[in-house]
Amino acid sequence: MVHKFTTDLTVDWCPGCGNFGILRALTMALSELKFDPEQVALVSGIGCSGKTPHYVNVAGMHTLHGRGIPFAAGIKLANPALNVIVTGGDGDLLGIGAGHFVGEGRRNSGLTILVFDNQVYGLTKGQSSPTMPMGMKTKGLFRPNILNRINPVTLALSSGYTFVARGFSFDTVQLKEIIKKGILHEGSAVIDILQPCPTYNNINTMEVYRKNVYKLEDDPSWDPVVNPGDEDELSAKFEKAYVRALEFGERIPTGIFFENRTMPGLPRRISEYVSGYMENPPATQVVSLDDGTTVVDPVETFRDKKIY
Amino acid sequence: MSKIDINILLGGPQGGGIDTSSTMVSRAFAYAGYPVLSTREYHSNIKGRHSYMHLRVKEVKPRSLKYPVDVLTALDPDTVFEHLINVGKGTRVIYDSSFEGSELDRSRMIMRDTVRRIRETLQKESLPENVKGMITLMERRGATSIAIPFSEIILDAVPEGPATRYFNTFGAAITLAILGVDLKYTEEAIKAAFSTKKHVIEPNLKVASAAYEYCESKKLRVTNLPRNGEPPKLMLTGNDAAAIGKVMGGLRFQSYYPITPASDESTVLEEHDSLHLLENEKNTLEKEGVTVIQTEDEIAAIAMASGASLTGAVTSTATSGPGFALMAEAISFAGMVEIPVVITLYQRGGPSTGLPTRNQQADLLFALNTGHGEFPRVVISSGDVEDCIYDSIRAINYAQRYQVPVIHLIDKYLANTVEVLNEIDTKRVKIVKPLISEEGGIIKRYTTDTNNGISPIGYFGKNIFWMTGDEHDELGHVTEDSVMREKQMEKRMRKEETIEAEIPVRDRVELFGDENAPVTIVTWGSQKGVVLDVIDDLREEGISAKMLFLKMFEPFPVDFVYTALKKSKTVIAVESNMVSQAAMVIEQRTSFKIENNILKYNGRHITEEELLDAVKKILSGAEKKVVLRNGA
Repeated sequence: MVHKFTTDLTVDWCPGCGNFGILRALTMALSELKFDPEQVALVSGIGCSGKTPHYVNVAGMHTLHGRGIPFAAGIKLANPALNVIVTGGDGDLLGIGAGHFVGEGRRNSGLTILVFDNQVYGLTKGQSSPTMPMGMKTKGLFRPNILNRINPVTLALSSGYTFVARGFSFDTVQLKEIIKKGILHEGSAVIDILQPCPTYNNINTMEVYRKNVYKLEDDPSWDPVVNPGDEDELSAKFEKAYVRALEFGERIPTGIFFENRTMPGLPRRISEYVSGYMENPPATQVVSLDDGTTVVDPVETFRDKKIY
Repeated sequence: MSKIDINILLGGPQGGGIDTSSTMVSRAFAYAGYPVLSTREYHSNIKGRHSYMHLRVKEVKPRSLKYPVDVLTALDPDTVFEHLINVGKGTRVIYDSSFEGSELDRSRMIMRDTVRRIRETLQKESLPENVKGMITLMERRGATSIAIPFSEIILDAVPEGPATRYFNTFGAAITLAILGVDLKYTEEAIKAAFSTKKHVIEPNLKVASAAYEYCESKKLRVTNLPRNGEPPKLMLTGNDAAAIGKVMGGLRFQSYYPITPASDESTVLEEHDSLHLLENEKNTLEKEGVTVIQTEDEIAAIAMASGASLTGAVTSTATSGPGFALMAEAISFAGMVEIPVVITLYQRGGPSTGLPTRNQQADLLFALNTGHGEFPRVVISSGDVEDCIYDSIRAINYAQRYQVPVIHLIDKYLANTVEVLNEIDTKRVKIVKPLISEEGGIIKRYTTDTNNGISPIGYFGKNIFWMTGDEHDELGHVTEDSVMREKQMEKRMRKEETIEAEIPVRDRVELFGDENAPVTIVTWGSQKGVVLDVIDDLREEGISAKMLFLKMFEPFPVDFVYTALKKSKTVIAVESNMVSQAAMVIEQRTSFKIENNILKYNGRHITEEELLDAVKKILSGAEKKVVLRNGA
């Protein structure tokens, strides 16, 4: 099944790269959801993570550094029936593209955003990324990192994302399940994915992560979901998610932190105003007759501009 | 020759209803059958600073504005202080008598440099630094002052007041009364201006009647304006026109970030997002609408429009210089991955934030060169409000046909200028269908096996293909292979030749006037109308001149422009920028160097009399370069 969503390209990530696990979890998720490849669009920015669309057998768009989210939102909002997934690095999504990361939280268009979080800029030889803790010195750095770190999970929560989770690239089974849930979630989902960079991050290695991560769902009382009708649970569950997300070090929680099903995605909000949007979105509208004449009556559409 | 030629300037504080006054005055003339032209000048400010409308009325559609004005109506002391430069012999200056003692020092909303200049002028003429002093100075320049007790008259008509709430209606009505516009047209205009606030119509009508009565009792009316045939049908700004053209051309998705003077186009689209379909199509088509998305920045705006375009939707964005600068990287990307997308660029005063609410044409070279690397693009420019409609359709056509970014240049003057129109021709510009791949599934989106460089487009949702800003192979995967690189570069750039061959010259450059005229005035953008008027003025003085009007800068109509200029004895470029950017493009592309330039870069529109004057200075041999400095 997996090969249906895998292209025959040579994957040129370094041996041992966490991206392999993410790619595997993603293609497994798409297979298990039984999507047709045409129903899916995969959009990326720049960097090692940016190459992901080329390795997946769906419509793929490898865009500009940091801009995967707005390109993806354009696709989703012009054709809301598509499943649109964004793959980006921590630098891509939380550094150069941080404005779009926050902006998409407000929009909640219905994207699934996978944050390839290895704390370094790999393709430019290991500079510190926005998720690297202060004081950490990886082998690619000349001196310890003097900048503070962004917590992708709390930032996603604060930005308004309605599905916020964390996975680990070498727990592909858990990650695959999170990705599936994120895709099926109506609003936009952020999945922070811890991954080693075997070439430039010699501190947070696969072994370190394997030792430190634990699963939220292992605690039977952990319930991050807010269903329609249960809006009164929103702030308590948000607060629990936020506090839990602050835990990062010897113990690192993975799994779903928060899932708010009460908020309609942007397509549904647009359809309240733009008539016929869901049934006949921008992607499918007929704009001219066979002879090239417009279908729009300009004077009647803009009738308030009439003098009489 | 038009017997009637009236120029009006009506000013007041921003937020004081100047927009409403403008609508009333424009509409009243229109109801009387007169095609009007009016523009708005305003500060980058919400409330308080000086703002004004400049309007012209003729029996035939005015193409430009002119100073000095026949009537200057001041709704506040600042308007009197600001506009000495725009009054002359015969100007009637209407103002509230209570302004007279108002000191210049108290006008805190006038820019400090302006205050200094006004003070020096008044001191030079030994006049007091107040409204009365300025009025005296205006009288010395030949104006007639008309002091009217605004508040008294308003409170007589609407005792509950407050009087200042009705200043804008009173100012519009007294102006119209003095110019002999029948009260019934003014009343209709008031009803139209307040169509969404019906409860305020009644008191405003009372104020208007009172203004008319006052005008009659004091015998202030200077003329009796006869009805001039049927009223025009539509009244549009350039922002409106671009929005209309876009939806006619198929636009269904626009993303934008707020910026003056571009965002009105997007809000107009949003206000009209439910499209009314042409009669015969109603039964066969589903409901249609435009989706307008306000983004977090201009980078997201162009990215979203580009992403949406991949699904088959017709998409665009609209911005101004600072936002356009942010879009540069994504424009290069659109060129590389061959995305059809339109960027409507409303030019305003730069560099940097510059003059955010003022006119300028200084982004031509930037539009031509935006984006790293080499890729085909189309750059077009519109000359008047009506052009904005059809050029917006053409811009979409070019984007769809050639799969390139299209930059459509408009300027602040056009964005905010109101023109009347009798019809919108739904057949004038046919909509071009893109070359779409007939296959489903995986396609070779970037096949190099194409003579004209255009490879059939596929859409997300229907096809699988990849796209990357990296150089790519025919499927759209990254490649650094030297031969594929050459093939893809040559495929993309072949589209330049195709565009050059397919778009007729008449859509790219136009000659107005006698083809053999020895004088050629070269211009582009919103100077179209004022140059045409000046050519008529010159003819009356026995000088034969023509206008070479540039509409497409990329690909540039080299042969036509070169031949036309080579045949001319005198060539003058007229532009609203400082370095004559279009003349630079002409020289670069044709090797023809234009020796004479008329330039304006103070952010205000070029008016008829100042341009005529400048052209004559050049023709007399006195000057080679004239900088126009009119405007307040």
